[in-house]
Amino acid sequence: MILRKTSITFLILFICCFSSYAQEKFILSGIITDAKTNETLIGVNIYFPELKTGTNTNEYGFYSISLPKGDYTIQYNYVSYLPLEEKINLQQNTKKNIALTENAQQLDEVVIIENRKKADIRKPEMSVNKLTIAEIKKMPVILGETDILKSILQLPGVTNAGEGQSGFNVRGGAADQNLILLDEATIYNSSHLFGFFSVFNSDAIKDLKLYKGGIPARFGGRVASVLDIYQKDGNSKNFHVNGGIGLISSRLLAEGPIVKDKGSFLVAGRSSYAHLFLKLTDNKNSAYFYDLNTKLTYKFNENNNLFLSGYFGRDVFSLNESFKNTYGNSVLNLRWNHLFSDKLFSNMSFIYSDYYYGLTLDFVGFNWDSGIKNYNFKYDLKHYLSDKFKLAYGLNTVYYDFNPGTIEPNNSESGINPDQLDKKYAFEPSFYIETEQQLTKKFSVNYGLRYSMFYRLGSQEINTYANNQAVVWNNDLKIYEKATPTGTEKFGKNETMASFNNLEPRLAVAYTLDDNQSVKASYNRMAQYLHLISNTASPTPLDVWTPSDKFIKPQLLDQVAVGYFRNFSKDKYSLEVETFYKKVKNRIDYIDGADLIANNAIEQVVLNGRSRAYGLEVLLRKNTGKLSGWISYTLSRTEQQTPGRTPEEYGINYGNWYKSGYDKTHNLSVTGAYKLNEKWTFGSIFTLQTGQPVTFPDSYYVYQGIQIPNYGGRNESNLPTYHHLDVSATLTPRKNKNRKWQGEWVFSVYNIYNRMNSASISFRQNSDTGNNEAVRLSIFGAVPSVTYNFKF
Amino acid sequence: MKKTVQYISLILIALLTFGCEKVVDVDLDTAPPKLVVDASIQWVKGTSGNEQKIKLTTTAPYYNNSVPVVSGATVFITNSANVVFNFIEIPNTGEYLCTDFQPVINETYTLTVIYNGQTFNATETLTAVPDIENNIEQNNEGGFTGDEIEIKFFYQDNGAEDNFYMIGIKTNYKPFPEYGVLEDRFFQGNQMFGLYSNEDLKPGDLVNIKLYGISQQYYNYMNVLLSVAGGGGGGPFQSPPATVRGNVVNQADENNFALGYFNLSEVDTVDYTIQ
Repeated sequence: MILRKTSITFLILFICCFSSYAQEKFILSGIITDAKTNETLIGVNIYFPELKTGTNTNEYGFYSISLPKGDYTIQYNYVSYLPLEEKINLQQNTKKNIALTENAQQLDEVVIIENRKKADIRKPEMSVNKLTIAEIKKMPVILGETDILKSILQLPGVTNAGEGQSGFNVRGGAADQNLILLDEATIYNSSHLFGFFSVFNSDAIKDLKLYKGGIPARFGGRVASVLDIYQKDGNSKNFHVNGGIGLISSRLLAEGPIVKDKGSFLVAGRSSYAHLFLKLTDNKNSAYFYDLNTKLTYKFNENNNLFLSGYFGRDVFSLNESFKNTYGNSVLNLRWNHLFSDKLFSNMSFIYSDYYYGLTLDFVGFNWDSGIKNYNFKYDLKHYLSDKFKLAYGLNTVYYDFNPGTIEPNNSESGINPDQLDKKYAFEPSFYIETEQQLTKKFSVNYGLRYSMFYRLGSQEINTYANNQAVVWNNDLKIYEKATPTGTEKFGKNETMASFNNLEPRLAVAYTLDDNQSVKASYNRMAQYLHLISNTASPTPLDVWTPSDKFIKPQLLDQVAVGYFRNFSKDKYSLEVETFYKKVKNRIDYIDGADLIANNAIEQVVLNGRSRAYGLEVLLRKNTGKLSGWISYTLSRTEQQTPGRTPEEYGINYGNWYKSGYDKTHNLSVTGAYKLNEKWTFGSIFTLQTGQPVTFPDSYYVYQGIQIPNYGGRNESNLPTYHHLDVSATLTPRKNKNRKWQGEWVFSVYNIYNRMNSASISFRQNSDTGNNEAVRLSIFGAVPSVTYNFKF
Repeated sequence: MKKTVQYISLILIALLTFGCEKVVDVDLDTAPPKLVVDASIQWVKGTSGNEQKIKLTTTAPYYNNSVPVVSGATVFITNSANVVFNFIEIPNTGEYLCTDFQPVINETYTLTVIYNGQTFNATETLTAVPDIENNIEQNNEGGFTGDEIEIKFFYQDNGAEDNFYMIGIKTNYKPFPEYGVLEDRFFQGNQMFGLYSNEDLKPGDLVNIKLYGISQQYYNYMNVLLSVAGGGGGGPFQSPPATVRGNVVNQADENNFALGYFNLSEVDTVDYTIQ
């Protein structure tokens, strides 16, 4: 409590002192857009060489900076866009809206000063990777389509559980510890077809930013990372269509003005073809997905913009009419940008987001629906107080409605009794304040504080247990068992059942050694109140989310990271080296034999444990030339421990630390793009990783006529090393020039040397001989694909 | 319900198996041998249940084709009235037989195994089972792919209590039996069924069906055991496997516990010939 007060006073002090200091200055502000489409550009660098200071555009393309009056050069830089330089004589508050031109559209120019990506030396921001869609599109495609999630897997510190697995892991975090935001709305499941595709249609995406550490105070609710994705607004100048036709999926996007230069729309749809993943030619089976991205943007005037974004995606599997499974996300989001003044930007959002999972098993006579819905109100303000001091503050409230499962018979002959698992409700309000401040020419700092609260609300009737222990230790058999409830406790509608609050300090500092190199350090504490109930290395769509309550405590993270950043050879290369250590309290683990599906008393099978991760990340980029790309390498360890609660108890894995299922000691990725000429561009990705940690048997025995493998310590072995090389070639026909219809062919091969990587090794009895055997499952050999993309 | 989960995992695997499976050599460590107590007392309906068998073995290296038997142990069961039923070894087979066992539904029994100076104990209750009804259905377009022979049998759940069942299937073409465990959650008091299908089933095949009444504790044990036996090893959709601990306890030395389980079930059994 005392800490809280001091920190807030501290912040207020800074605000006061800098407001007075800023008075003799003028404000330069504006919006930066794409010259051709009016699409706002995120993260454009605005630099004043005379002052050696600068700023960036925010998520809505807005920038603002206070400068002393005088004559300056302004340099606008943005990756894949032509740089722009302007002179200004600043004598009063000035609005300067700028349109930048995309590089690719100027192919005839003799000299192209390509705007290069480079490490951001000055900004007190680390452990962040930014990718524009133009960069992602240069990377080789797998299964015929540019994929956002696959592109972030090439970055240091990011992995996933294996080939074709859903979700991703950041710095040893579990997949449910990533906050995935699409236009600021939470997405609960990031994958289609169990991970073969991401839910993000790259045509509709403008920009993404992945925060792995030093996470600013404006984000909260997940402990490992934030993946912040923004959709395009739509072209408000001209009507355009683009699309792609592939072997596996096709997509189409249309965008155009509603009111020229003021309002625009964007609609993008994507679908894979049915029967795709099933060899069975039987037309009773199908597996496909589709999704739809929509956006309406309207600019009322210089100071007011309105955005309405929507996303709807579904995966559908059906087998032999006896099994039908549908799942997906839907999101609707209304945002209002308002400029109170040249210095004060605000955004208000109303967000609805849901995740639905439905399953019908005809042969069991059973229908199951589950899901999570949330209603989110956010209000964020950003105050550009001076060129050296920015302040952001706001509030975020989320109301959650969880449906763990509605079970009903799907026909009159079914032996199933209808059942509704207890619905759960929760409310999560939070407030934050965050500053970015340049203390000296060399030293800048970003610090902030988030105060998050979480209320589990009724109505619900919950079990009570002796000693408040829902899991009991059977000391005779040395196993954990479900406790028998001693009674129930009833809570009325909106009555608080459990509440938590956490103060989450965040800090990042940057110290510039010279113009080309800097060191940075960061610390962040974060709280996560939701848990994905999943006992597998890779989440499956049917895993359910559950809120923290009396038994399941919020996860709390502390992370520190330090890094060295350098641009060299005139920005031709950049190097980023970071090392991190983090620990998470209250990471849940599961007792042996835990039944997680349709379990109405999940507290009876989980124990609160902890996890830790540490590692070293190296990212070396070549930013310019015909050949560009990067090498990323991560050395890391991710572990989990669930000790016994009393000396008698064994805990999980005898209370010893064990490697998490997504631990990867070594992770190397080499990504390259080579532009041969105007016609041909080539891309390739090479990935090499330590195999997934697994548990192998150390003996077997016979019980009731079957052979049982006997296992020792958890995750002490590894699958064989995982590696593959993917290549792609893009053909842009010369006849494209000077015509409206632009087409290109993308040829690609995933895993070109046909490496049979192990997705798993299982130990079983051969069903003919009855002898034990180890069986490797590989998912992909070499996968060729071809896609035709077009736009007009 | 557990079955549903298994079905779902099956779907996931079905989706993934457009990849390929291959038997591979994996180097494995070998742990020191441990005693395994295979003590499943089965009172088949319509029999006296006097004759019972318990088997003692140890663990073996994973790739060995057989497990060592344990001879020379002392094995007996006592009931709540302290009546002792002795199990005598057929010499050098590890099989211990009893000819005067007295099965009583809901009676609690204690097993004692004395081997190498160590005493192991386990306690369980004999659990009743309903009859397998006569209307066994055969569907020649069953299974996931719709082209397998599938048989379905029925039994009546007792709505007055929570029940747990084990189904054992033995066929003439597979060298080992298959098991599944079920609970009556979602089916309380209703007619329940068991389903069995296999791509290798063909007309003329003999299928032996056994329905066991089991305790909740044995249900939990078999649930874990079967998931471990079903090919663990850390696939992406696999929960981490661990040593499966049964109810055979070494009171003196907790680290020297025995594997296996002491279970007592009433059993109904039916032979069905595929039409």
